[in-house]
Amino acid sequence: MDFEFTDEQLELQRTVRDLLEQECPPELVRKVIEGGSADDFWSTLVSLDWPGLALPEEYGGTGYSWVELAIVLEELGRAVAPGPFLATVTQFAPAIAAAGSADQQRHWLSQVAAGSVSGAFAVDEGAGTWQLEDVAATGRIDGDQVVLTGTKRFVLDGATADEVAVAVLVDGAVRVVVVPRTSLHVDGHDPIDATSVHAELGLDGVRIPVDRLLGDGPAVGLGAAIEEASVAIALATVGASSRIFELTLDYAKQRHQFGVPIGSFQAVKHKLADMYRDVERARALAFYAALCLAEGDDRSSAAASMAKAAAGECQQRCAQDGLQLFGGIGYTWEHDLHLYLRRAKVGELTFGSSSHHRQRVARLALS
Amino acid sequence: MNDPCSRTGLDLTVMPRPWQCQINIEGICRMRLHHDEATEAFRAEFSAWLDENLPDPAHATERARSSADTPAWARAFQAKMFDDGWLVPAYPPEFGGRNAGLFEQLVYFEELGRRNVTRSFNPQGLGIVGASIVSFGNEQQQRDYAVPILRAEMMAALGMSEPNAGSDLAGLSTRAVVDGDEFVVNGQKVWTSGAHDADMLLAFVRTDPDAPKHKGISALIIDTDTPGLVRRPFPSITGPHHTDFNEVFFDDVRVPRKNLLGELNDGWRICNGALAHERSMLWIMWSQGFDTMIEDYLADVRDTPKAEDPVVLDKLGRLVADAQALRLLGNRQLAKQQRGLVPAEQSLLKMMGSEGQRELALLAVETLGPEALDQRQVPGQAGAFASDRLATTWFNRYLFGFAGTISGGTSEIQRNIIAERVLGLPR
Repeated sequence: MDFEFTDEQLELQRTVRDLLEQECPPELVRKVIEGGSADDFWSTLVSLDWPGLALPEEYGGTGYSWVELAIVLEELGRAVAPGPFLATVTQFAPAIAAAGSADQQRHWLSQVAAGSVSGAFAVDEGAGTWQLEDVAATGRIDGDQVVLTGTKRFVLDGATADEVAVAVLVDGAVRVVVVPRTSLHVDGHDPIDATSVHAELGLDGVRIPVDRLLGDGPAVGLGAAIEEASVAIALATVGASSRIFELTLDYAKQRHQFGVPIGSFQAVKHKLADMYRDVERARALAFYAALCLAEGDDRSSAAASMAKAAAGECQQRCAQDGLQLFGGIGYTWEHDLHLYLRRAKVGELTFGSSSHHRQRVARLALS
Repeated sequence: MNDPCSRTGLDLTVMPRPWQCQINIEGICRMRLHHDEATEAFRAEFSAWLDENLPDPAHATERARSSADTPAWARAFQAKMFDDGWLVPAYPPEFGGRNAGLFEQLVYFEELGRRNVTRSFNPQGLGIVGASIVSFGNEQQQRDYAVPILRAEMMAALGMSEPNAGSDLAGLSTRAVVDGDEFVVNGQKVWTSGAHDADMLLAFVRTDPDAPKHKGISALIIDTDTPGLVRRPFPSITGPHHTDFNEVFFDDVRVPRKNLLGELNDGWRICNGALAHERSMLWIMWSQGFDTMIEDYLADVRDTPKAEDPVVLDKLGRLVADAQALRLLGNRQLAKQQRGLVPAEQSLLKMMGSEGQRELALLAVETLGPEALDQRQVPGQAGAFASDRLATTWFNRYLFGFAGTISGGTSEIQRNIIAERVLGLPR
C-alpha cells in the first residue's frame, strides 16, 4: 500500500488551506455565530467549483477522487467552515447517487455541481445511530403523489437546505424522496455549534410529486451513502481536532510559568504526545476510508466505522486536554478554542457515536 | 485549452486564485491500496522460496529456551535463508540479502508474518548485534562475528542496561580502561537477554569518564568465555523457568583492542545506528504481533455470548482500529521514505504497537473471566516456526506485554521523544 499524499495532493492541501485562511477566518465563524450570513463564502466555493469536486464530469463535476475530496473536507473542518458544503456534497449528493435513476442523478447532481441547490439528508428518527434498520417514517404512493408520515431528527442544515433527501419506508422497503424544505414542518435547534445547525423535520401529511421518489425499487446502496457521510464527518472532526492540537502545541511553547515554557513540563509533554497520537491515528484511518471509497474497495464499510470511531476518540482527547492545557484563557468566549471544540463535538454526536462505530467494527471483525 | 485550470470554466484573465492554477489533474490519486507489480513479483518469488525451503514441521518441534538458544533445525534454516539472500533482504548478498527496496522488504515481512515464520531465534543477534557489526565493523569483525551471527553459527547478546542506567542509558558506568593491546573491563550489566546462551556480547562501556556522558562511550565485542566474565541468569515475571534475563559481571575482563567496534568513544552513535538497516521495518513486528493476538482473540470469542456483549465489542472495536492505524502509519512511514523524506514516526509506532498489544491481552484476560484461570488453555494456533513466548496463555501474554512497554525505551520515554523531537517542545 502506498499511503502518503502525492505532491499534487500536498499542493491541493496547501492551496485549500491558504484559501480558507483568507476566505474563512475565525472572524467569519464568529460573524455566523452572531447571526450573520456565510452566503458570500458559499458563493466563493461555488465559483471555485468545489461542490462538484468529486462529482463525475458528465454532471459538470471535476471528477476528482474521494481522496481529494477528503483533503478538502479535513481543511473545512480545520477552519470550522460554515455553510451548506458538508450536507450538500457529502450527505445529499451520495443519497441521490445511491438511490436515484440515471435521469434523477443527472437532474440533482448537476445542480449540486453547479452550486444551484443546497441539500440535506434525513435518516435518523431518534436512535442516534443513523442506521437504516431504524427507519420508521413512511411514504405511501397515492396516484401521482407520495404522502409522508413520521419525524426525522438531527438533520444537518434541515432548517436551511433547499432540498432534503428523506429516507422512508415505501411498501416496507427503504426508499429516498427529495422534498423541498419549505414543504416540511421544520423545528430548528438552539445549536451547540451555530455554524453547523441541525433540525427536526415533521413529515406528517406532506405530499410531493411521485417523480421525487428516487429509483424504482429499494435503495440498496443507501447504506454506503451513509458510510460516505460518516467518513466526511470523521474528516471534518479530525480537521477541527487537529486545529485544537496545533493551537495547544503553540501555546505550550509560548506560555511561560515558573520561568520556563509550560511545554517543558513532562505532564504537559505527555498530554501533547497523546493528542498527537490520536490525531495521527484518526487522520490515517479517515484517509484510509477515503482511499477505500476512491477505489471502490470492499473494505470501505469497516474502514468507515473505524474512521468515525477514531475521529470521535481524537476529538474527545483534543477537546479535553486542549482546553485543560490552555487553562483560563481557553475558558473564555473571546478565545477561538471553543469554535473548534464545538465543531469537533458535533462530529462525535452525529452519524453514530464512536462507541456505536467501535461495536460495528468489532461485529464486522467477528463476522 | 489544455490547461487544467480551464475545467473550472473561469476567465483566466482575472487574477487566478491559488486553487485554480496549481492543481494538476494529472497524476492524482497515486495513493493506493495495493502494491505495484514488481513488488508483488518479489513477494511471489519469496513465497515460492518459502514453499520450497521451510523445514518440515515434524522436524521443527524443538523450542528455544532463551533468546540466544537456537535449535539445530532453526540454525540450519537461518543459514539457508542467509545463503539464498533471504535473511535480511535489505543487505547486500555477502550479508545474506539482495539489496531490496522498502516496499520489497514490506512484502517480505508480510509473507513471514502470514506464515508465522520466525527468521531468527536470536533476534538481538540478527537485528542489533549483527546489524551493528555490519554497519560499523571492520572486515575482520564482519567476517569473524557478523557473518557467523547472521548464519546462526554464533549466538549474540547485547549489553546495554545497567542497574543504574535504564531509561538514562547514556549514564552507564561499566568502565573499560586501555592497557597495552587490551581493554580491561569492570562493572555490571543487567537485563542482558540470552547472555547465558550467547557466545559473544556487544557491550557498551565507558572509555572516557571525563567526557560528556554521550561522548565517552565505546562498543566492545566480548567473547562470553573470557575470564572474569560471569553471567547469572534470572527468571522473568512470567514464571520461574522463563529464564532469559541475565546479570553480567565484569571483573578485570581483558578484551583485545581489535574488538573495539567503530572508533573509540563513538559508541553512542553505534547505539543509535544499530538498527538503521531495518529501522523503518521495526513497526512490522509490532503490527504482526498485534494482528496475531487479535485473530486469536476473535477465534476465542466468536460464536460465544461474549461476541454479543456491548462492552466487549466496544473495547474490541477500538483495538481492531488501533491495529489498522498502526499498519497505516507504518505504511505511510515507508511511503515517506520512498519519497526521500525522513519520517519521525518510530517512537509513535513503538508506543502504539506495544500499548495496543498489552491492552488486547488485558481485554482477553478480563473478558474470558474464569476461563483465563487455567494456564493449560493456550489461545490460537502457534505456527511450527513461531517462537514460544508468543504461544503462551492470555495471562502470560498480558505480562509479556509489559516487556513491550518497558524495554527498548519505556512508553514514557517514547512520549518524551515524540514531544521533543517530533513536536519540538523544549527539553
